[in-house]
Amino acid sequence: MNATKLLQYLSTRLRGPRLDGALAVLALVLAILPARALAPWTGDVARIVAVPIVPIMHLGMALRERIRPPREVFDPRAPEVIELEMAAERYRTLFEQSRLKTEALERDLAAVKAVRARAGSGGVQLETAAVIGIDPTRREGLVRISLGARHGVHRDAAVILRGDIFGGVVANDPAEFVSLVRPSVRCSLGVRIYPAEGVDADRAPAVFPGTVLKPADGGVWLGDLASDAEVREGQVVRLADDRYGNVSKGMRVGRVRRVLPNDQVPLARVVEVEPLAHLVDEATVVVAIDPPEGTP
Amino acid sequence: MRWAVYILFTLIALAIDASFGGILKIGESQPRFLPCVVVFAILSAPRPYAVRIAMMAGLLADLLSPVLRSDGTQLVVLGPWTLGFALGSLAVVPLRTLLYRRNPISSGFATLVFSLLASVVFVAVWVLRMLLLRDETPSWWPGTGGGEVWRQAKVALVNGLVAVPTVWLLEKTRPLWGFSTAKRVIPGAARDLA
Repeated sequence: MNATKLLQYLSTRLRGPRLDGALAVLALVLAILPARALAPWTGDVARIVAVPIVPIMHLGMALRERIRPPREVFDPRAPEVIELEMAAERYRTLFEQSRLKTEALERDLAAVKAVRARAGSGGVQLETAAVIGIDPTRREGLVRISLGARHGVHRDAAVILRGDIFGGVVANDPAEFVSLVRPSVRCSLGVRIYPAEGVDADRAPAVFPGTVLKPADGGVWLGDLASDAEVREGQVVRLADDRYGNVSKGMRVGRVRRVLPNDQVPLARVVEVEPLAHLVDEATVVVAIDPPEGTP
Repeated sequence: MRWAVYILFTLIALAIDASFGGILKIGESQPRFLPCVVVFAILSAPRPYAVRIAMMAGLLADLLSPVLRSDGTQLVVLGPWTLGFALGSLAVVPLRTLLYRRNPISSGFATLVFSLLASVVFVAVWVLRMLLLRDETPSWWPGTGGGEVWRQAKVALVNGLVAVPTVWLLEKTRPLWGFSTAKRVIPGAARDLA
């Protein structure tokens, strides 16, 4: 009864702007109620209110999915995803292999071009060979390359590294498809010693000090020098030996490591030269094959 | 004005907002059809009802936009949109005399104003709630209130754009709404002659 009277009172008093104000105050009170006061009932009210709009909502969702299909959930462990990742990895490896191969080919090409520029039109045939192993006996430090008599390789053919470094000579009569190369560090070489910073092209080679390098222990050469020769550490040693063909003449061989006094000959000194590159460390080399005798 | 028709259109607008509306998203701003319906009603309904019909729509919006709490449960907070729509309606009501009500572009502008003010109040109420009740987090958490106002301002702009065709369509249903078309007759010389 009291409630009815209260409602009647409210309906008579709360009209127009007063009703709006009362509703706003009620909304504000509801808005700042703590969760524990709202949670027990607002969720249920919301579910009841949502009932009539659910069919329309489903229709709208169906329409939306029709117009813009939802993206499938990405599953990183799905077989097709794993397969794609493996394929990507495989192709990445192949790409890397191709890239390395291209780089190696470009290096070979540059080396061949450099040697050819040096060889001029002397009819020397240049072939690229792969270093495939070392001599099993290891006594002479011979290195096996992938060119043989079938390719025209002959004894004493010069082997060149990186286009400008004398690497050695073919040691003996080659087999059909492989040859054994004696590294330059195992050869006795007639050389001249040039300044490290380069030389004037007009100056004759004879003005630079020369010596004969002989293999020594530790993978270096030793050579005797006159005491008046001006030689310093770091100078470049170039081949000046006719025995190794015209192509290799003038190529770099090594670098002066030390200049030592000669105890046995007071007026001479000993120069110690280290190689610029080791044949066994190279992947490919260029072999300068002289034309067969009788070829014009 | 027929309240049943208004409630029906409000529910349809809410359903569209909750389902199909996502397809009309411009950037991160999804337009809402509910403010368009409310503004259409406010501009045509009797002036005393304006705040009430807006609050009713706001209440429905509150009921259908629960907040996800940190413990994974949902909480329906009544009030933020209710108060926001009330203030929005108070801003739109004076525009009734300034705008040509049946022009959809006028309605678009009114919807923009309505949505903007409603969103400001919505954020303000949530900020107040956060200050009073420390353990509450709004829907925009961990963003800031200013960021939410900016986001809602963009939504308001999109609402204004969407309101133009929506109100044009709603105008086609005007006979259903039962808006009063009676004009106040002012006595004058011509009437006296008649």
